[in-house]
Amino acid sequence: MKMNKKTFPSRLASLGVFGAAALAALTTSAADTVHYKSRVGSKVTITGTSTIHNWTMDSQIIGGSMDVPVGVEFDQTKAALNGATGGKIPMRVEANIPVASLKNGHWEGMDEVMQQAMHAAEHPQIVFRLSEITLKEPHAAGTPFQFDAKGDLVVNGVTNAITMPVSIESVSPVKLKVVGKKPLKMTDFKVQPPVKASVFKAGDDITIDFEWVVGRPAAAK
Amino acid sequence: MQEQENNSSPTGFNRRDFISNAASFSALMALMGGVPLHAEVATNAPAGAPSTGYSTVSAPLNFGVIGCGPWGREVLQTLALLPNAPVVAVCDSYEPMLRRATAAAPKAQSFTDYRQLLASKDVQGVVVATPTHLHREIVEAALAAGKHVYCEAPLANTAEDARAIARAAKAAVKVNFQAGLQMRSDPQRHFLLPFIRSGAAGTNVMARSQWHKKESWRRPASNPERELAVNWRLNSATSLGLIGENVIHQLDMIRWLANTKPVAVSGWGSILGWKDGRDVADTIQAVFEFPDGFNYSADASLANSFDSSYEILYGTFSAVMMRVTVEDGSKAWLFKEVDSPLLGWEVYARKEQFYKETGIALIANASKLPPAPKPGEPRPPQPTPLQHSLANFISNSGIVGKGIEDFIANYGADDLDGMREYITGPTITSSRRSAAGWQEGLEATLAVIQANDAIRKGHGHRVVFEKGSLEL
Repeated sequence: MKMNKKTFPSRLASLGVFGAAALAALTTSAADTVHYKSRVGSKVTITGTSTIHNWTMDSQIIGGSMDVPVGVEFDQTKAALNGATGGKIPMRVEANIPVASLKNGHWEGMDEVMQQAMHAAEHPQIVFRLSEITLKEPHAAGTPFQFDAKGDLVVNGVTNAITMPVSIESVSPVKLKVVGKKPLKMTDFKVQPPVKASVFKAGDDITIDFEWVVGRPAAAK
Repeated sequence: MQEQENNSSPTGFNRRDFISNAASFSALMALMGGVPLHAEVATNAPAGAPSTGYSTVSAPLNFGVIGCGPWGREVLQTLALLPNAPVVAVCDSYEPMLRRATAAAPKAQSFTDYRQLLASKDVQGVVVATPTHLHREIVEAALAAGKHVYCEAPLANTAEDARAIARAAKAAVKVNFQAGLQMRSDPQRHFLLPFIRSGAAGTNVMARSQWHKKESWRRPASNPERELAVNWRLNSATSLGLIGENVIHQLDMIRWLANTKPVAVSGWGSILGWKDGRDVADTIQAVFEFPDGFNYSADASLANSFDSSYEILYGTFSAVMMRVTVEDGSKAWLFKEVDSPLLGWEVYARKEQFYKETGIALIANASKLPPAPKPGEPRPPQPTPLQHSLANFISNSGIVGKGIEDFIANYGADDLDGMREYITGPTITSSRRSAAGWQEGLEATLAVIQANDAIRKGHGHRVVFEKGSLEL
C-alpha cells in the first residue's frame, strides 16, 4: 500500500484522528523508501541432473521490485552499511521469473516438458516474497554486502518458506545487483521430475542461481 | 491483387499422412552429433519407471494462409496433420481457389483481400504462398500487422524486393520470420551436418544436384487475364524459373553443409520440351563456383523425369547422397572410397544398392526405425520436410511471441534495444528449432537471382558475385 506525497494532505483531511497514527506509520514507511524496479541485465540458471546428462535452464528475465529504506546505501567500498539497525533491513522485495522464459537450449522439447511439469499455464511465474533480510557482519570493504534472506518461494502454485544467502552491491549510482543461490527439490513444490521410461529420468535436486539487477529513477533521492 | 499458385516443392511430393513422432532422446542426442547409429544410448534409468507423459509439442498457433493455389493447398493439408496448427483464415483473390481451400480448412474464415485477413485478431501467423513476385507487399504488411510470417522461397524475384523483405523481417523484432527453405528444418539433414562439417567425408571435391520432373508447369486459364495470373512461372518478368523455384533448396543445402558461399555462377538455359510460347527455360544447367576450386553443378528439367531429384556432396573419403521421396521421406547414404578411414559403425548400418554402388544409410534415430514392410505391404508414410518446417515455425513463433510478452511485462515496452538484444540473444536463439531465417532466405534468393541472370544469357555466361551481392 503506497501513497505518494502528493495525496497526503487530501488523505489526512479525509481520515479521522483515529486513523492518523496508523496513517503516520504507513506514510513513514512509504515516503521513506526508494523504489527499485527490475532492469535488463538479470539472469537466472536452474541446474539439474538426470540419468543421461546434467542440464540447465536459463532465463534473462527476473521481474519485480524492491523498496529500500531511505538512508540505506549499498556502498560496498565502505565497511559499514548505513541504515541497517541491528543487522535487519526493513526492505520489501517481490521478484518473479516467468516460467516460459526458462530455456534449455540443447534438447528440443525440454522447454515444453518443463513448462508442463511446472503447470505454467496455471502458474506462469516463479515468485519470491521477502519476509526478512539480515546483514552478515563483519563486512569486508570492497566486497558485496552479504545477507541471510528469508521469504516465501512459490513454484507450481506451491509456497515454501526458504532461507538463502544473498549478496547486494551497487553496480552503478542507480542500480543494485542481488546475487543468490539456493538448492531445492522439485517435489517440494509438487513438480514431478520428467521421466521417459527406460531412457531418461530427471533428478529431484536442482539449484537456482540468480543475478537480479534493479534500478531506481536517476532523480530519486 | 493476390494470386493462388506457387509451387516451390523440390520434389513435387503430395500430401502424406502424419505419423505422430515425438522426438525421442536418442534422436536428440543424434542431433547433437554424439550417438552411434546402431545402439540406443545406455542409461541407468530405472526399468519400468512410468513415463510422466509430458508432451514436447509446442503451444498452438492460429494460422492464416495467403495464396491457395496448389502449394498453398499443400500447406493447408500439411497444417491439418499437425496437432497445434489451427487454420483460422484463408485468402485468395480467385474465388474458385478460395472454395477449394476452405474444403481443406473448413473452419477457416475466407477472404479475397489479404488486408482483411491481416486485420483479423485471431490470426497469429501467416504463410505467404502466393506467386513469388507478389510476396513483398504481403510480407511487409503482415509484419507491420504484428503477425509471424512464413514466406515461401524464393523470397522475391528481384534483388530489390528480396532486400526489402529481409530489411522488414530484421526490423520486426517482435515477431518471427521464417523463409520457406524447408530443408533447413529437416532432422535428417541436421543429422548430416556435424558428420560432414567434421570432415568425415574428407575434403570437399565437388557437389552435384539434379531436379528432374517431366511436367509442363502450364495451368489452364479461362481468359488472358487469368493466363497472366495462373502462368506467372512461365513469364520471365515474374519468374526465376527452375533455378529460383526448385534448385534454390538444393543450392541452400550444399552451401549450408559445406559451410561456404558461392563466388560466381555460369548458366545455360533452353526451351526444349515445352515450346508453347513461354520465355522461361524448361531445362537449365548452372555451375556455382565456391572458394578453393570447389564447384557445384546443378541441372534441372521439366522435360525428363529420370532419377527424379537428389544432391550429392563428393569428398576425398566418401560421397554423401541426399534425397527426399514420397515413400521414404528424407534420406541420405554414404558411399565410401576404398581408402577412406573406418568409422566403425558402418558395419551395422543398413545398405542399399544404387546402380553398382553400395550406399550406407545415414539415418537419424536409426534404432527407432520400424522394421522394413513385408512384400505387398504399404510403407508407412513419413513426415515431409514441409511438415517439419511448419512445426518449427509454430514453435519459434511461440518462443518469440511469449518472449516479447514476458519482456514487456517485466521491463516495459520502451526499451526496444533491450528487447532486440533479448530476443536475438543466445538463450532465446539456442532454444529455437531449426529453421531458415531472413538471412538464409535472402542469401539463397540473391544467389538464384544472379544465377538466373546467367541462365537467361546462357552459353555458360558467368556472373561473378560482387562483394555484398549476397547481403542486405
